[in-house]
Amino acid sequence: MTARRKPHPLPPQLRSWFEARGWTPFEYQHRVWHAYREGRSGLVHAATGTGKTLAAWLGPLIEGLEKEERPAPRRRAAPPLRVLWITPLRALAADTAEALAQPLEATGLPWIIETRTGDTAPAVRARQAKRLPTALLTTPESLSLLLTRDDSADLFRDLRLVVVDEWHELMGTKRGVQVELALARLRAFQRGLLTWGLSATLGNLEEAARTLVGSADIPFEIVQGVEPKQVVVDALIPPRIEIFPWAGHLGTQMLPQVVDAIEEGSSAIVFTNTRSQTEIWYQAILGARPDWAGTIALHHGSLDRANRAWVEAGLRSGALRCVVATSSLDLGVDFSPVDRVLQVGSPKGAARLLQRAGRSGHRPGAVSRVTCVPTLVLELVEVAAARDAIEAGAIESRLPVDRPLDVLVQHVVTVALGGGFVPEELLAELRSTRAYAELRDDEWAWVLDFVTRGGEALQAYPEYSRVIERDGRYVVEDREVARRHRMAIGTIVDDASITVQYLGGGRLGSVEEAFIARLKQGDRFIFAGKPLEFVRVRDMKAWVRRAKSSKGAIPRWLGSRLPLSTELAAALRHRLEEAERGIYRGPEMEAVRPILDVQARWSAIPAADELLIESVRSREGRHLFFFPFEGRLVHEGLAALFAYRIARLQPITFTMAANDWGFELLSPEPAPIEEAISAGLLDPAHLLDDIPASLNATEMARRQFREIARVAGLVFPGYPRSGKSARQLQASSGLFFDVFQRYDPENRLYSQAHREVLERQLESSRIGRTLERLIDAKPLLTQPERTPPFAFPLLVDRTRERVSSEALSDRVRRMQLSLERAAG
Amino acid sequence: MTGDLPLALRGQSLSMLPERAVYWTEAATLVVADTHWGKTATFRAAGLPVPRGTTAEGLARLDAALDRTGASRLLVLGDLLHAREGRAPEMLRMIADWRERRSSLDVVLVRGNHDRHAGDPPPELRIDCREGPLLEPPFSFDHYQRPVEGTYLLSGHVHPSVRLAGRGRQRARLPCFWFRPHVAILPAFGGFTGSADVSPTPADRLFVVADRMVVEIGLQS
Repeated sequence: MTARRKPHPLPPQLRSWFEARGWTPFEYQHRVWHAYREGRSGLVHAATGTGKTLAAWLGPLIEGLEKEERPAPRRRAAPPLRVLWITPLRALAADTAEALAQPLEATGLPWIIETRTGDTAPAVRARQAKRLPTALLTTPESLSLLLTRDDSADLFRDLRLVVVDEWHELMGTKRGVQVELALARLRAFQRGLLTWGLSATLGNLEEAARTLVGSADIPFEIVQGVEPKQVVVDALIPPRIEIFPWAGHLGTQMLPQVVDAIEEGSSAIVFTNTRSQTEIWYQAILGARPDWAGTIALHHGSLDRANRAWVEAGLRSGALRCVVATSSLDLGVDFSPVDRVLQVGSPKGAARLLQRAGRSGHRPGAVSRVTCVPTLVLELVEVAAARDAIEAGAIESRLPVDRPLDVLVQHVVTVALGGGFVPEELLAELRSTRAYAELRDDEWAWVLDFVTRGGEALQAYPEYSRVIERDGRYVVEDREVARRHRMAIGTIVDDASITVQYLGGGRLGSVEEAFIARLKQGDRFIFAGKPLEFVRVRDMKAWVRRAKSSKGAIPRWLGSRLPLSTELAAALRHRLEEAERGIYRGPEMEAVRPILDVQARWSAIPAADELLIESVRSREGRHLFFFPFEGRLVHEGLAALFAYRIARLQPITFTMAANDWGFELLSPEPAPIEEAISAGLLDPAHLLDDIPASLNATEMARRQFREIARVAGLVFPGYPRSGKSARQLQASSGLFFDVFQRYDPENRLYSQAHREVLERQLESSRIGRTLERLIDAKPLLTQPERTPPFAFPLLVDRTRERVSSEALSDRVRRMQLSLERAAG
Repeated sequence: MTGDLPLALRGQSLSMLPERAVYWTEAATLVVADTHWGKTATFRAAGLPVPRGTTAEGLARLDAALDRTGASRLLVLGDLLHAREGRAPEMLRMIADWRERRSSLDVVLVRGNHDRHAGDPPPELRIDCREGPLLEPPFSFDHYQRPVEGTYLLSGHVHPSVRLAGRGRQRARLPCFWFRPHVAILPAFGGFTGSADVSPTPADRLFVVADRMVVEIGLQS
């Protein structure tokens, strides 16, 4: 950090604004304002709702006031775009705009604050097309869209500061890379641009800050904001623990205690891990306390903006007693802390649990408390592990994404649209980002060929036209290409989603198209806390009417299942090793002891140097359960690897399931497990050959390619009112994958799918290191007569991968027509 | 051993081939549906980079089926060409070369919806373009499912596939030949085409293409 001079004093207008609210600026806020005024970029990390917004926003206001001391400007109009505020969620943009408007009003500066997201009204967009406001709040996707305008260099001419809100959410994702690229573009327009990131606390803050300011030699400052002095993690313990494993599924059995906990204070947030859990718990709490109708609400990212705004306002005003929410409330929505925070289901990670805990009591020095509600008895072990990890300061890192070519292809077309580029200049700009600092010349040549010729020069397609060269500048001239590109930009994260709307008109929100595709007329589902009956799809909307009965299917959203963090997995193993030695520390471990006893009696609890493998027979076939306790990502990779290695010994077909504790290989006939172990099942040797081969045997790369195809603009999400010509361009990402695999296996987007799967398994989760640990472990093979508690959740898991060494026709002969209706 | 699967129907012998074609022995006719030639070229013309190779692969697959069966006539049940934008000279040249090598083969196209937009193939390919249904008792041929009284209809358009399930929670989704009481629907022949899951009933017969084999799936529960 640089030497600090005496901080600039706060201008009187802002000082009285603070005083009027009975607030005193935090010392860290002063430091950020000062650093900004000194022309430095940086990163602020602090708990949610502790004034990070003001820390970033008041710098420009102070600067504006100081400039206004000089003779008043002649023109009355608001100054052009000066501050760009990037937020990961559309929902946050409107809230933040409100938060920014209040101190602005106190300064009397003639600035205009506006949002620009997918929610922005067409009239506002049209106005913004002529002139952007002084401060603009937007999402990464909407920012990229602005960069496609051919006057984009002019638009950002006066830009002084970019604030990236919730940077920890974006970093480590392709949207984060999209932000990095946009920032590099903006810096090319405006050399002295400053960047400030706002983030929750991460294990790798230095890297987070460096990624944000770019890899050029830009100095930056990391400022720690207010963190709660003390965090308490506790759990609601089931009053009676049944010893049968299936009884370990608690579902909403903990409801009475949850209701009691909510009642202890005047406000509470109940966090869940998935949107469907949110719907289930909202219904359950309302069912238990019908008198709370109107004071309890639901908040998740699929809900319509108006609904969410109502909930957030209710939280601020104190009109709501309880909100059931997903991670949509982890982020910046600013409201006073609630009395109780409950976490339903596994905490999954220490950083995440800390952030949720921070929703309670986040005044300086106050105690933040989060109470975990198990949905499975064994989750109590994870709660104990999470507490251990937090006490040990084992906070997770967010690893940045390394040079994804799909995002680069999209960006290069964006820049070609936004005024065009000269390759050498653009390459230098790209290499100034963290993500593409190591972009190789051959990769860059491939990307240029791909957007101009459709492939490598040798097999260029004469009929192809996307980006073309005009006097050394690369531009897009085809209006149809431009239109499709703009439509495709918003799709880095969103699967095609479809609006849910009442026949009478009211909009409820949106769900994945694949879910709607499975519904037929008259099917019931619960959404936005309301029982609905599906009527039809028309005009890219799912039309519904209110259902009389609340009995119905809960939306099964596709959203990825969050894996246990590496830090938490290590803490979990430690707790189980203690249990194996008969040590049960704390109320959670005491409570779960009867279940662990059953596990030990029916099978075993493995010691630190053992790998537990359970072989179980059922009507479905032979199950092999493995328990490395390394988190789901590692287990997915290990499952594919083990299935592949066993399938080399004899023709066999496995389907696999993985969760945070272990994984399952299921086959119709017994698998030669003992032979496989002596043949080197656990051997880290040949990993570099076996892992790619085993991943190729699954459909993981094919699935990963869905996102790549969308980002690179090969497939389009819903194409409203598309004409005949658009229909002739319909193909699924799977078709693209197959045709690349067969006719252009060197295609970089195709190989990127494999690389992404590999990196996910190898680098971020380290199968190799797990095997190094397991090679010395003694395989502990048990043959329980019934499914023991550890294995039970895997047994009921329906999400499966497959590895086979049999001919397809042999497999098909044993199959029947699936009775399940076509699912997406 | 070949992966073909024979089927006696209305006193005639049909064979379902894993090349996604049906061979009608008595008429020495090979029947395919929905080739969608030029689909990848259509994509490329719109700035979507799909690799080349599907036409060559399709022609090679067609050759394999023609050679094995010794067919003297090829009947295409619609959607021969994908779109007007996809009539790339290179693709048409490949088909012309193939046609030259197969000059004694009679080729008949029953027009489908895509053919209307794409237009008939160039006359030098000597493809007899007809409006469906084509009557050749006991069969009739069409792109669509428009039954003709007293005949058994072979058709296309649908690109049928089915989902299968087996012990050990195994799943598969495969293109199929779907034989209903009065109409059969062929799988799409084209290599870069999607498919639609269909729901056969116990009165139907169902044959899936499993790599190099055609396998019948029992529908009796």
